[in-house]
Amino acid sequence: MKIAGTSQLPFPPEKAYDLMQDPAMLALAIPGCNSLEKTGDNEYKLSLKMALASLSGQFEGKVTLTEPNRPYSFKMLVEGTGKIGFVKGEGVIKLSGLGDGISITSAITATGIEFAGDAQIGGSIATVGQRMIDTTSKMMVKQFFKKLEKLGLGAEGTNPEAGGTAGE
Amino acid sequence: MTTTVTKLEKLVGKRIKRKEDPRLITGTATYVEDVKLPELLHAAILRSPHGAANIKSIDISKAAALPGVVAVYTGADILGVGSVVCAADLPGLRKPVHHILAQDRTYFVGHAVAVVVAKDRYVAADGVDLIEVDWQPTQAVTDPEKALAAGAPAVHPEWPDNTAFIHNQEGGDMAQAFADAEVVVKQRIVSQRLIPNPMETRGVVADWKQADKAMTIWTSTQIPHLARSILAGQLGLDENRVRLIAPEVGGGFGSKLNVYPEEALMGFVSMKLQKPVKWIESRRENFQTTIHGRGHVDYLEIAAKRDGTILGLKLKLIQDLGAYHQLLTPAIPTLSVLMMPGLYKFRNISAQVIGVFTNAVPTDAYRGAGRPEATHGIERMVDMLAAEIGMDPAEIRYKNFAGKDDFPFLTAAGLTYDSGDYAATLDKALEMIDYKGLREQQVQARAEGKLMGIGISTYGELCGFGPSPATPAGGWESATVKVEPSGKVTVMTGCSPHGQGQETSFAQIAADELGVPLDDVIVLHGDTSIVQYGIGTFGSRNTAVGGAALFYALQDIREKAKRFGAKMLGVEDGEVVLADGHCTDSNGNSVTFQQIAGAAYRGIVIPTGSEPGLVATRFWEPSNFAYPYGAHIIVSEVDKETGQIEIKRYLAVDDIGNIINPLLVDGQLHGGVAQGLGQALWEHGVYDDDGQLVSGTFMDYAMPRARMMPWIESAHTITPSPVNPLGAKGVGEAGTIGSTPAMVNSVVDALAPLGVRHIDMPMTAGKIWKLMQDSSIQEKKA
Repeated sequence: MKIAGTSQLPFPPEKAYDLMQDPAMLALAIPGCNSLEKTGDNEYKLSLKMALASLSGQFEGKVTLTEPNRPYSFKMLVEGTGKIGFVKGEGVIKLSGLGDGISITSAITATGIEFAGDAQIGGSIATVGQRMIDTTSKMMVKQFFKKLEKLGLGAEGTNPEAGGTAGE
Repeated sequence: MTTTVTKLEKLVGKRIKRKEDPRLITGTATYVEDVKLPELLHAAILRSPHGAANIKSIDISKAAALPGVVAVYTGADILGVGSVVCAADLPGLRKPVHHILAQDRTYFVGHAVAVVVAKDRYVAADGVDLIEVDWQPTQAVTDPEKALAAGAPAVHPEWPDNTAFIHNQEGGDMAQAFADAEVVVKQRIVSQRLIPNPMETRGVVADWKQADKAMTIWTSTQIPHLARSILAGQLGLDENRVRLIAPEVGGGFGSKLNVYPEEALMGFVSMKLQKPVKWIESRRENFQTTIHGRGHVDYLEIAAKRDGTILGLKLKLIQDLGAYHQLLTPAIPTLSVLMMPGLYKFRNISAQVIGVFTNAVPTDAYRGAGRPEATHGIERMVDMLAAEIGMDPAEIRYKNFAGKDDFPFLTAAGLTYDSGDYAATLDKALEMIDYKGLREQQVQARAEGKLMGIGISTYGELCGFGPSPATPAGGWESATVKVEPSGKVTVMTGCSPHGQGQETSFAQIAADELGVPLDDVIVLHGDTSIVQYGIGTFGSRNTAVGGAALFYALQDIREKAKRFGAKMLGVEDGEVVLADGHCTDSNGNSVTFQQIAGAAYRGIVIPTGSEPGLVATRFWEPSNFAYPYGAHIIVSEVDKETGQIEIKRYLAVDDIGNIINPLLVDGQLHGGVAQGLGQALWEHGVYDDDGQLVSGTFMDYAMPRARMMPWIESAHTITPSPVNPLGAKGVGEAGTIGSTPAMVNSVVDALAPLGVRHIDMPMTAGKIWKLMQDSSIQEKKA
């Protein structure tokens, strides 16, 4: 399944990039994330609760960040397995500086984000319906960037409960 | 004692309501799930989430430790149980050994890996979640054409070309046909994977009694006796100590013409634990692990003269077999070859069938089994040929039909069609629908910019399976008629009806032959301890074969009753007639059938050379298949804005031979048409490239609903089959076979002004809309 889209964050690419490389911030921003522990260079152990239609369950997996090119791009690999199936995804996240949109010489104040990747889903969740998975994944991405925006602006505390459950 | 005998009304031919319905509509029928036994355990099955994977290790410790879990078994435990049986054979056929639980690898999503047995279903399911498998996924392949390509992942490592068999059949002289041809039309036609969904999923209860070395198995099957033979073999049990009961079966459509891993698995579990055990298939499991239907990619070439005379048909058939063979998997596409000439008299065919392994659940018999694919092929090609040479689709059919004087008609595929008058059936259909008027309306509609289509399919079908040499397990059927001392009649049929209504139609036949009220007859089936060996229900055979066996058993009863009657009346054998429930001599003296039954059991007056009792059993095998046929016509309109297809009229004129109960025939046709339109318009079993079944729920697999069905106008011509004494042909699959090409022909006709010449099924609104955008562009460019 292809996943692709765009988003924006109201701060410059350097800040956005650093936020997305910070396990503590990611743990807060990834919907349904219970914990994200660093286990090696650019490798993290992930525990996530996901709900999809009538199915919900815990996923255990890992996240690997590769090909760092601060602040322009990086690659992300996610693998998770749980009682309700497995998820495997791989994608490239590209960041670009945005000005005020009026003057080409204006200072860079925001970040445009472009992501594209492939996800593979198996087990019970794969039978639930591709349309559900498609909309759920889009919603999760939206939630992720919204949360990251709040975190970046300092509007959000570090309450670990704040991640919520994916798909809710 | 001269008596007045009242003439009884014949029941055969009457619309009689089904005797089985009261229990069904009051919810008192017993399905496998309703079987409750003391100390019954419940099983749940861990299934592969991967299309292809190696199993590096399985850890069952957490599952086994869960309170309420009684046992957990994996592939290592079941090696003493026989593998899944494939009864079909072809020269050089490669048969993978499919164990009832996976060994070191899995090759389709849903492949059973382990079974958890627990005190209830929920604990068993929780136990499944606690099994830890170290999977090593490998590359899967699910598209049969991709599986044939060089370098494709091998479904079974020992056969890297993924080819299970290649089957060739030639008839006539194809090279000459193509040399003589003035026009050749070619088309790739896909008959997509379909997922059978009976209202009742599969289910098994197994109950082993060690002291008697006896096994009772309740299973939702169409073939109780064959299933018993196979399961006794798999479990190493004596066949006579295995009792198999098919209780109420909530639909099968071919998907239960099979013996699945779970049946032997439950037998194994019950023997291990010395307790009864139940497994009920969930709907999700049904989608993933019960056989699928169709799965054809056909490359067809039709050779003809410009005047519409068909000279020959060439077929390359790529059959998606799935990952292993279920009971009849490899045989199904060979039926397509047999039916590829349809109703037409051309003499030359050439077919190559390539059976391909894919990482998917096996395909097997699904309502029509091979014949819908064949009919779709020939009926589409005939329409495309007609379009190519500018001939009317009805006219080209008349030109090529086997004539009514050609019967018995030997086809190019080597079958001998029993009887028919194809032109008469099409005449009736064209007249009923006012074909000429419709074509005029269509000209008008097109002028107004409307996309109106008229689609004809004149289908033929082979059924009443069948002569024994043509079937893998005996093509006969059995019947016992047991008359009780009171004259009440019990019929035991080797068929295993599950919705077809033979408890009613067989009672009609028995009541007529014996002159007893309908209510005096009951029909038993589906329990191997009650019913003599039988073959089962499939291939539209119940009436044509099982009904014929019953007819002959009834004749034996009649003969014996007449001898008793003659003795009771004090006249010679042969001086009495048995009619209207009375045995009457030439003086008008008579005894009733019930009095005869009483005397036969009382045992005081016994005709010379006869014996007490009034029971007869017959095993009867037909000398040939029966060949029903018909003409289905669909008038449709395609919405230009949305691509939505509206069926304006559906007309079916079917010739199914003599009709026992028109109400049952209507029901079979309606259901068949619904399943055929399901394939034509909505249903599609889809695997992604990784082997995930992405149409694995009713949200993603478009089952037809009642509101999506058109009104079906139905009529018949009647050409009795000479093959059996009832003159019946078969109707179980006719609707499925006739409807799909009629639907596609109709929509292609509607879109013909846009340059459309073929559409593959399912013709969803989205697909039609996209096609119209393309065509519109072509039209503008032209």
